[in-house]
Amino acid sequence: MSPELLTALFFGSLLLFVALGVSLSFVLGGVSAIFLYFTWGADGFFMVSSRVWTTMNSFTLISIPLFVFMALILERTGLAQSLYRMMYLWMGGLRGGLAIGTVAICTVFAAMVGISGAAVVAMGAVALPAMLARGYDKKMALGCINAGGGLGILIPPSVVMIIYSLNTGVSVGSLFAAGILPGILLATLVGLYIGIRCFLQPELGPALSKDERASWGEKLASVKAVILPIMIVVMVLGSILSGIATPTEAAAIGALGALICAVAHRSFSRKMIHEAAVKTLVISAMIMWIFIGAHVFSTAYNAMGAQQLIASLMQHIPGGAVGALIVMLGIVFIMGMFLDPIGIMLITLPIFMPVVNQFGFDPIWFGILFIIMMEVGYMTPPFGFNLFYLKGVVPPGVTMGDIYRSVVPYVLVIFLGMLLIGLIPGIALYLPGILV
Amino acid sequence: MGFILSLSRFITRLNSLLGVWILSYLVVAMLVLLLFEIISRYAFSAPTVWASELTQLLFGAYIILSGGFLLVRNGHINVDILYNRFAVRKKALLNIVTSFLFFAFMAVMLKEGWAMAEDSFSMRETSYSAWNPAIWPLKLAIPLGIMLLLLQGIVRLMGDVCVLLGRPELARQMVAGNEGTVVEFVAEPADVREKNDVA
Repeated sequence: MSPELLTALFFGSLLLFVALGVSLSFVLGGVSAIFLYFTWGADGFFMVSSRVWTTMNSFTLISIPLFVFMALILERTGLAQSLYRMMYLWMGGLRGGLAIGTVAICTVFAAMVGISGAAVVAMGAVALPAMLARGYDKKMALGCINAGGGLGILIPPSVVMIIYSLNTGVSVGSLFAAGILPGILLATLVGLYIGIRCFLQPELGPALSKDERASWGEKLASVKAVILPIMIVVMVLGSILSGIATPTEAAAIGALGALICAVAHRSFSRKMIHEAAVKTLVISAMIMWIFIGAHVFSTAYNAMGAQQLIASLMQHIPGGAVGALIVMLGIVFIMGMFLDPIGIMLITLPIFMPVVNQFGFDPIWFGILFIIMMEVGYMTPPFGFNLFYLKGVVPPGVTMGDIYRSVVPYVLVIFLGMLLIGLIPGIALYLPGILV
Repeated sequence: MGFILSLSRFITRLNSLLGVWILSYLVVAMLVLLLFEIISRYAFSAPTVWASELTQLLFGAYIILSGGFLLVRNGHINVDILYNRFAVRKKALLNIVTSFLFFAFMAVMLKEGWAMAEDSFSMRETSYSAWNPAIWPLKLAIPLGIMLLLLQGIVRLMGDVCVLLGRPELARQMVAGNEGTVVEFVAEPADVREKNDVA
């Protein structure tokens, strides 16, 4: 069988079984095992166990359960409530102010934790009812939580970046540094969009009436809510970027910060630790088993010579470097609607990285664009994770259709930000140049 | 039938208890060890030779033994836009037909994992680091973890067969009584959704 036909059959059957609802790790592992058996025989498997052992021995991967644990603790502390109260007091008087404040809190959360769900769940439970009660437009309120939550994977620390770095050899520190300015840019663009839209159409996000607004005394007193989050951000990012701690140790420091936060908010309990620990296992196991399936996949993939084939196919894309970039990001966009980010990375990065090198793209810059595209994947129907997190916490009366429709303008705003970073690579590359 | 039922219940219970009461707390243990290492390095300038490596060993066990537990929770990520449109018995049939992928994957993992563990055990392998702990027990954990997942997969297959034959209550009994169990074909779509808590 020719490599072309074999590759088409291989990817075709992957897609078929994924669409039929078989678990991703079993599709990756199973389809690859069967193809490997029929092309190379049972001898083709020898790489698999050593790859699994390498995964179990990766010190960087230990940061994943720690970051997940940290996020789950923070989600349960009541920190989101006190941050939101502060935003409410300061921003309530502005048209769209509560929505802008929500994006700002999501940004703070993104800088504390490495995963995206925590901010969406916390803000969906705290900010959404408050915005709806103040007459905010449903789509405005849902969309800002969705878009703000997506920032979690772009603003360091980020589990997605850690996995990107493991697959490409780019340093985690550089990626983290590179994510900071694009993250702030996207948060600002989203905030501007809300501000301008609500200024022009006040019915979408009405300002609080004069007598509902807070006094300066109340405003100043509420600022103490940011002390603990700032402490955590400084501890986690500071220790990574200054080189004092590895990402894994920084995750441990962050988890300690989250526990301190829980004690300070009087929400620390044995039950809370147990629930967070069990959920951490579920989420981490989910990620790691896709890894294990992907090891069999990449063994089969390399053995069949698919890598060279796809690299040579990519050369025929019209438009040279720009064309290749658009095609790669387009593939990620479409996959993002259906697959989870870990699966997308493990499937596409082995294909994309040779192309990235061939066209001389900076792998850090490409990584930031790639990760923003996955952020969009979190937001876009039918399978974006943030949509389902939101659905889990919204009040009755908000349908999945409302949530689906709410993302459109925000996705366009994020595309605008991506275009800016694409045209001005310095937005991503300036900080890694001076920090790392 | 009674024997198969009790065996299924035993396997599910084993995976569930292992996950909820042992594996889940390893994250706390890893956290404590890492903090201990950071404190002894920076506060007492006395880095240990063992704390980081022990964390690594715990992490290895944490992931490789978690597969069966994750299957009990129906937590292996899938794309169910199409799948959720099918009726309960069609889902069961589809699960049975596509289960060959799972078993092919498990066969490869078991064969290779066992070969590696056997090698390691026969030479009582250690890590050759400064601390030099035995690592063959962790390598033995690979085929063990695969067995736990494989057995849970067999339970699931039998559950699907029961549903197909019009006895869904048997499928439910196989996994009933464990904290947080989700039976795919019995759960509401909302419950199935809740599992998608990745990154």
